[in-house]
Amino acid sequence: MSARRGTSSVAYLAARLSGRTALESALAAAGRRASETGDWVEGADALLHANAGEAALLAFLRAVDNGEGFGAAGVALAGICRETNAGTALVAIEAWQRLGRPRWWPALTRLAREAPESFALGLHQAGVALGAGGESGFADFVAVGLKASGNDPARRQRFFALEDPLARRVLSRGEADGFGANERRLAAFMTALLGRAPFLRPFPAPPGRPPARRVSIANGVILFPGSFPGAPAETIERLYRAAAAHAVAHRLFGASPLKLGALKPLQVALIGLMEDARVEILAMARFPGLRRLWAPFHTARPEGGTAVALLARMARALFEPGFHDSHGFVVKARRLFDEADVTDPAAMRAIGGLIGNDLGQMRVQFNARDWVIEPAYRDDNLGLWEFEGEPPQSSEAIDLMIDAARVRQEQEDGRVEPSAAPESVGRARPAPPLSDESIVLARYPEWDRAHGVERLDWTCVRATLPKIGDARRIDALLDSAPDLRRRVHRLARSARAGRLTRLRRQAEGHDLDVDALVEEAVRLATGDTPEGRVYRANAPRVRDLATVVLIDASESTREASVLEMERLAVSLLGDALDATHDPVALLAFASDGRERVGLTRVKDFDEPFGVAARSRLAGLESGLSTRLGAALRHAGAELERRRAFRRLVLVMTDAEPSDIDVTDPLDLVEDAARAMARLRDRGIDVLGIAMGKGAAERATRIFGRSGYVTVASPSELPSRFADLYFRLSRR
Amino acid sequence: MPMTKLAPEPSSAVGAFVISAEPYYRAVGDEIAVYEAAYSERLPVMLKGPTGCGKTRFLEYMAWRLRRPLITIAASEDMTAADLVGRYLLLSGETVWRDGPLTLAVREGAICYIDEIVEARQDTTVAIHPLTDARRVLPLEKRNEQIAAHPDFQLAISYNPGYQSAVKDLKESTKQRFVAIHFGFPASEVEAEIVTRESGADAKLARLLVLVAERSRNLRGHGLEEGASTRMLIHAGRLARQGLPLKAAIESAVVLPLTDEDELRSALREAVDVCLP
Repeated sequence: MSARRGTSSVAYLAARLSGRTALESALAAAGRRASETGDWVEGADALLHANAGEAALLAFLRAVDNGEGFGAAGVALAGICRETNAGTALVAIEAWQRLGRPRWWPALTRLAREAPESFALGLHQAGVALGAGGESGFADFVAVGLKASGNDPARRQRFFALEDPLARRVLSRGEADGFGANERRLAAFMTALLGRAPFLRPFPAPPGRPPARRVSIANGVILFPGSFPGAPAETIERLYRAAAAHAVAHRLFGASPLKLGALKPLQVALIGLMEDARVEILAMARFPGLRRLWAPFHTARPEGGTAVALLARMARALFEPGFHDSHGFVVKARRLFDEADVTDPAAMRAIGGLIGNDLGQMRVQFNARDWVIEPAYRDDNLGLWEFEGEPPQSSEAIDLMIDAARVRQEQEDGRVEPSAAPESVGRARPAPPLSDESIVLARYPEWDRAHGVERLDWTCVRATLPKIGDARRIDALLDSAPDLRRRVHRLARSARAGRLTRLRRQAEGHDLDVDALVEEAVRLATGDTPEGRVYRANAPRVRDLATVVLIDASESTREASVLEMERLAVSLLGDALDATHDPVALLAFASDGRERVGLTRVKDFDEPFGVAARSRLAGLESGLSTRLGAALRHAGAELERRRAFRRLVLVMTDAEPSDIDVTDPLDLVEDAARAMARLRDRGIDVLGIAMGKGAAERATRIFGRSGYVTVASPSELPSRFADLYFRLSRR
Repeated sequence: MPMTKLAPEPSSAVGAFVISAEPYYRAVGDEIAVYEAAYSERLPVMLKGPTGCGKTRFLEYMAWRLRRPLITIAASEDMTAADLVGRYLLLSGETVWRDGPLTLAVREGAICYIDEIVEARQDTTVAIHPLTDARRVLPLEKRNEQIAAHPDFQLAISYNPGYQSAVKDLKESTKQRFVAIHFGFPASEVEAEIVTRESGADAKLARLLVLVAERSRNLRGHGLEEGASTRMLIHAGRLARQGLPLKAAIESAVVLPLTDEDELRSALREAVDVCLP
């Protein structure tokens, strides 16, 4: 703001406020506190114009001091005031003073503009959001809230009131420089060193206890604290990396867990430090740069006689050969360690026990509960010990250990932590499957083989209300196949990029088509009419297709986890389709007699494969029978309503249609074959993906010789399915 | 179809393709024996393996060893069958047939090496089919002619299964015509030896570069499409020989070319740093 305009505005403000004593004096006071030409004048002016009301204006003027950013604040507040009301602007000013965040205005303005009804709620959570992730965390929280709830004000309010689990999850993501922000990078760093992907998790905060301060390794899971309180911000990233490298050293050179036996807490701590030093020496022999990474954290000085000080001094002495420490205990520990064989973990236990006795005789007090391992990058060493058979002591460490083990167990079981409640969309009423009240979608004819006629309106296709599962199960499923997922994404990307088609014999283009040119010259020489089409050109291929994927969810898919593989296959596809925006509908089918052919809409054509679709997919269960013909006819009917150049039905099935009211199995096979032929006639391509033994023969009867592919075992399905889709969709 | 036998071109036609000096190649397994056996039987050979692990160098070496000219074709999306086989051109008002590189090799008895064959479109690739079975002929449809392959002719292709996908993959009918030799990265000492020989780096530096390469190869499938190739290490060694600090040499020759993704690049850089003394 130019000084000239600033001053003139103060005068202008004063003129407009004349007669309103409280405001006049606040203005004068603000002018004295801050420079008269500060941009706050601009802000106050904006507020005044927005009819912010006396209380808000007063609060603003009282907040003004020598600092900067008041102009932006005032303009933002004026906007908020216009979108909502003067009352909320006042609350915002108060929160602003309390929280002191200059850069939160854009997110706050956006909230006021796009969700005025939720503004007060959002503002109320701002403190939590800012505390968890700073201004960017708050902006993220607002952005996720607006996006997740679409145009539904009620959902938005639930989100900003933190009733939505998603909101809580966004908030718990942690600080900008905490574990969440570093996780991917740490995982890649550790993978590069280890040769396999490590299993990283944030340390679950035990209820009612302070959050963990150190890394913990338990049963192959490496738990990282959400942050390292007390560490200077500029070293946090390095500290995480050092901690990751230390965990790698344990993984590469560590031994199998030791029995705790009758060891005293002090001995346990010492043996842990010995083991740390041992694995670090071995790791530094392989990766010499690790010394550079770890050294800055060894800050112990050769002074102090408490157990905590002595342990830190010893840790440094074992790590750093050049460190001088003449304390008898440290000298002895170092001598014993140097004499021991570093490849032998048992030796560490012996030395640790020995010097532990020394320290005990020195009557040094050691309180295991208060002790936190130093340097900070080292883990709590609980992973070194085997707790089996031990009576559960009420030690915090052991409790944590059990918590960690439980997390691991749940991950193995495919369950999720209790905190991960299903999405709120998951609150749909559970409906009895295929009850007669379900919505009738259509009636279709069916082929009667014995009489050689099509029975009109023989089957009734109904929409089954989807069961809602936990969307996180789909995420976990996808995470379990990272290579496959990456490949499918690549397929999708290359599909989106639309490979160029080479056009030959064009009237214009970027390149001469030599063959056409020669022919043209021949034509000229022989007196024929020249065509002039002697160029080559490239044209992008246009993707214009709509697809229905039919998922067999009948009882037979229970065997050999067929349904599970179908789930993974369509998840991989759905997950990748965000790149191409291809309209793909996922329909699961299972029938219970001709009157009840159930179709579950897992995902509609233009619906993103988001939480809702994922939870419906997760909720699919095997059950009932396979009336393939009716499902095919319905898929065709759905596609007929779509305008697309190419329409495609992909059917995952065992090619063994059956139903409770059909005695002749060939009846439904022939019906499916007729349904299939009918779709082809209407220009809809159908491809069967036939699974199981002997599927080829049955599939030939239904889909024709070239209308299917076979997948020998269900486990192959996920890798083949996406390939097929992209191959078909390219044509 | 009449079999027109053209007068053999002077041997100078392929003279330029003869490799006179022995190329450096360090055998890592039985690949030389396999190739020699395949050549004795004139079986077509497919070299599989990630980029920069020595496939092309191996073929140069084998061509030198077998004393055959080597005609290399870099396959591309834009390559047509005519680019391989040949076409009519206009020369002073008349059409003249010009052999393509494949035809040249077939006539003159060279080893024809099609590099990265998956890059070519599948309809182009089928042109080689009649050459790779018992017929050993190359039909030239435009000339209405069929050339029988020279007794010394052999076809070799290379193929990187790393970017195998539905979009770019060999047809099953193409794949199954070839004897395959797999190329992986050599064992670390052998790779260090190769890096030393090719870049002039000393043994210690070469070992360190291999250690770095192994870090990046660990990330294959975890963000990286491919790990660092032996070729990259040689580049890094050469940069270092020019006096560039090691860290900068590795950054330019390995880290930056491998990935554009920030997080992954940082992680890789950090893993590299841990390897450096």
